[in-house]
Amino acid sequence: MGYTEYLQARDFLGMIGQPVITYILIISLFQGIFSILYLMRKDSKYFDYLIKCLYISTGLYFIGFFILAWFHIQIYNTVLIEYPAALRQMIPVENSRIAAPLWIESEKLYFWAMCASAFALTVKKRKDILAFIGIILSIFSLAVYFFSNPFKDPLPIVNSEITRWYAALSSGDMGIFQLAGTLYGRVTYYYNSTYMWTHPPMLFIAYASLIITFAACVYMLFEKDKLYDEIAYRYAKIGYILLTTGMLIGYPWAIEAWKDSAWWWDPKISGSIMMWVLYSAYLHSRIYVSKGKMWRTTAYLGILCFASLVFTYLLTYIVPGIHSVVQP
Amino acid sequence: MKFKNYDYYLIILTTLILFMIGAVSLYGITYYNYLAVDSGWTKTAQYSQYIDEMNSYLYPFLVLLLISLGLCIPKRLFEQDILLKFSAIILGITVILTIFSNIETGLGFILVLMTVVQSIVLIMTIRKSKSIRFEKEGYIVRMGSSLLHLGLVLIILNFVSLRDSPYHILIFWFGVIFITIGNVFSFYPEKTASLLPDMG
Repeated sequence: MGYTEYLQARDFLGMIGQPVITYILIISLFQGIFSILYLMRKDSKYFDYLIKCLYISTGLYFIGFFILAWFHIQIYNTVLIEYPAALRQMIPVENSRIAAPLWIESEKLYFWAMCASAFALTVKKRKDILAFIGIILSIFSLAVYFFSNPFKDPLPIVNSEITRWYAALSSGDMGIFQLAGTLYGRVTYYYNSTYMWTHPPMLFIAYASLIITFAACVYMLFEKDKLYDEIAYRYAKIGYILLTTGMLIGYPWAIEAWKDSAWWWDPKISGSIMMWVLYSAYLHSRIYVSKGKMWRTTAYLGILCFASLVFTYLLTYIVPGIHSVVQP
Repeated sequence: MKFKNYDYYLIILTTLILFMIGAVSLYGITYYNYLAVDSGWTKTAQYSQYIDEMNSYLYPFLVLLLISLGLCIPKRLFEQDILLKFSAIILGITVILTIFSNIETGLGFILVLMTVVQSIVLIMTIRKSKSIRFEKEGYIVRMGSSLLHLGLVLIILNFVSLRDSPYHILIFWFGVIFITIGNVFSFYPEKTASLLPDMG
């Protein structure tokens, strides 16, 4: 097992994964159309089509996720980083395998979209909210397909690291020492760390739950019905628990992995604090949702919270910092 | 002396303070982006100036948040007028400490005090003491509320005053456990009670 087997697995992933994500896109577009038609005409037949599309697209998302999991297992089984003898004196292991988490690089948005689809199925009794979420999920699928497709050039950063490693190994390049040191850090503190296997999925599941809170708050604003507050709150509770604990467990890891780096008041961390305090404010304001016009404040806060959530997610791509992919 | 709609205005105050902390964070993002024009700026003294500046914006709101939590926490121990005087004295001492020392000392004082008060509240809640009063009924909800407040105060104390302590990470995990259990107890009291029938 080695680089050739890894490349074969990567090609196979693209070959079977690309049709899956294409079907997700097509079904999601139909889902979006049926959602709009239902919202405009209130005809149950459109809602039935919408539900069918949602079940199929969610199923396809899960099939795609299992295919991605298979690829990650192949990376683990085929790629072995054996550290040069000189480096072994400085690090505690002789070799490493990459246990890449299933929510990194282009897989992040895919995982979020998959969780959001699964959560949407839990509100199928609320036709209006589900139709609204159906439109959001269609936009999600479009974004995944065109901007964050995990089957088109899978895991580009992991791939470049593996490719550089094998290239240096075969050419006998002396740069392999530096490369091995860098890879050791990446494998230990990023790919194989418990933190990366817990912190991001907790946040993405929270984000998925909070989409429903957002949709219910939008409806509360327009319909002025307290029932929407109850739905918003039901999903905000799940989201808030995961958001709070998920954010906090990143701290010990940051101290260890970023000890020599500037991460305090990093934009992504500031954004996360902003999002958390806004959700805390939302939960406080809804205690008195029945008093006067407080329901309106609560609804606006719920919408603002979701805007801050999307903004915090996008910060990785628009503002430089230790969490970011952009540099000044 | 009883103030009309006291709890309602307390919630409004807390919401506003949280909102302001959100605004400080947003300012931090914008400011960081502005400073990051030079890619090596985090390796210069400018970065520690940025951290100090951001902390100095955040800390006054943290003091207000703690006062607001304080108005909420000992409410279970004292009458409203005593509570307001108690909070005014705490705020006064914090301001004096800030003027004669620095804001970290002032904040540290209020955090230690709040940790002690909330620990007492938690112990009394566990012992089902009749001396404390809660807005909400139910042992699990009360436990959740007490754990959540204590966890939050503990985490802030740990970040502000105990960053160099050998127990920093241990205290941090206690805070995380308190907050998580507190959240679960507060949000799902019936489900938690059904899992813990003796506590319901």
